[in-house]
Amino acid sequence: MDQTDPGSNDVVDVRLLAEIVGGVEQSFVELYRRRHNDVYRFVFAMAKSRSFAQDVTQEVFLNVLENASRFDSAKGTVRAWLFGCARHVTLDRLRLERRWTDDMPPDLGTPNSDERLLADQRVERLHAAIARLPVEYREALVLFELQELTYAETAAVLDCPIGTVRSRLHRGRVLLATMLDETEQAALDLKPSVAASLQTREVCS
Amino acid sequence: MSNTPYDASRLQPELAQLRAALRTVEAPAVDEAALRAQFLEMRQRRAQNAAGQRARRSWRLPLAAAAAVVLALGGILAAVVMRAEPTASVLVPVAAVQPEAASAAVSAFQPLQNSPSLSPSSSYNVVRVRIPLSAFAVVPGTQQGGSIEADLLVGEDGLARAIRFNEADALLVSVAKQ
Repeated sequence: MDQTDPGSNDVVDVRLLAEIVGGVEQSFVELYRRRHNDVYRFVFAMAKSRSFAQDVTQEVFLNVLENASRFDSAKGTVRAWLFGCARHVTLDRLRLERRWTDDMPPDLGTPNSDERLLADQRVERLHAAIARLPVEYREALVLFELQELTYAETAAVLDCPIGTVRSRLHRGRVLLATMLDETEQAALDLKPSVAASLQTREVCS
Repeated sequence: MSNTPYDASRLQPELAQLRAALRTVEAPAVDEAALRAQFLEMRQRRAQNAAGQRARRSWRLPLAAAAAVVLALGGILAAVVMRAEPTASVLVPVAAVQPEAASAAVSAFQPLQNSPSLSPSSSYNVVRVRIPLSAFAVVPGTQQGGSIEADLLVGEDGLARAIRFNEADALLVSVAKQ
C-alpha cells in the first residue's frame, strides 16, 4: 500500500467504493488489491492467527459488497471504515468461538541470526501479550499503535469518544507492561529449574 | 515497575518493532476470478431483490384499492346488520307476553295481530329493528322523519309473533297508536 499520500489514497478509495455501489466489478477487485493487506494485518494483530485473519478478510470484503452504500466519508476514511467492518466481524467470530485469545503459533518471518532471533522472540512475546489483553484495550492498541490510526480515526472505528480511546490506550499499555513483566519474571524463575532438571538428567544418564 | 525485569520504557520500541514486523505480513493470495464471481453473484442477487421490490411495489396500489373496497363493503354490511341486529337467541317465557300484561306495560312484548299464537314449548329469537315513524303516521302533527327502536319476537318459522318498544320510545309509540 502506498503510504506517501494518505489523502489522495482516500480519494481513490472513495471513488472505488462509489463505483462498487454502481456495480463496477473492476473497482471491487481494485479496492481489494489496495486494502486487503491492511484488513488482514489488523485482524492478525488482533487475533494472532493467519487462518482467522484470512477468513475475516474474506468476510469483510463480502460485507463491502453488501454495505458499500453505507460508507459516509464525513465519518472517516475508507481504510478506517474497513477496520470498523473488520472489527465487527472479528468480535462476532471471537464471541461465537468463545475464543478471546489465540493459540496459533506465531509466524512473523525467518530469523537469520541470534540477534534477530532475540528480537523476534521479544516481538512474538509482545504480540502474544497483546492477543491476551481484554478486547477493548487490545483493539485500541492495535488500531493506534500498530495500524497507526489517529486518535480521531481510532475513536471513529471504535465508535467512542477520543477521551475513551486515550484512557483505553493508557490502561492497555500499563496492563501490557504488567503482563510482559510477569512473562519475563516467569522465564527468570523457570531458568534455574530448567538448568537443575538438565543437570539431573545428565546425572541420571 | 522499576523493581521488575520488564522495563516499561522498552514498550514503545518493541511496539515499533512489532509494527514493522506486521508490515511484512502479507495476506495469502486470493483467486481474483473467485472474487469477481462473488461480485457478480452479489450484483445479480441485488438486481433480483430490486426487481422483487419493484414487483411488490407495483402490486401495492391495486391491493390498497381492493382493501378499500372490501372495507367499504364490510362497513355497508355492518350498517345493514346493525339496523336489524339479532340481540339474542333466547327462550322467551310466553307468560310474560300475555296480551293483558302487554297492554299494561309498553316495554313488554305485545302479540302482533294475525300472527300465530305463542306457545310455551316453542323457542323464539329476539331481533332488534329500527322502524321509521312514518309507518305509524296516523296522528296529524306527529314527527315523521324519525325512527324508533323495537325488539321483534320471531318464531322458528321466521314469522314475527310479538313486538316490544324501548322505554325511551314509549311515548312516541303511544302517541302513534292513538
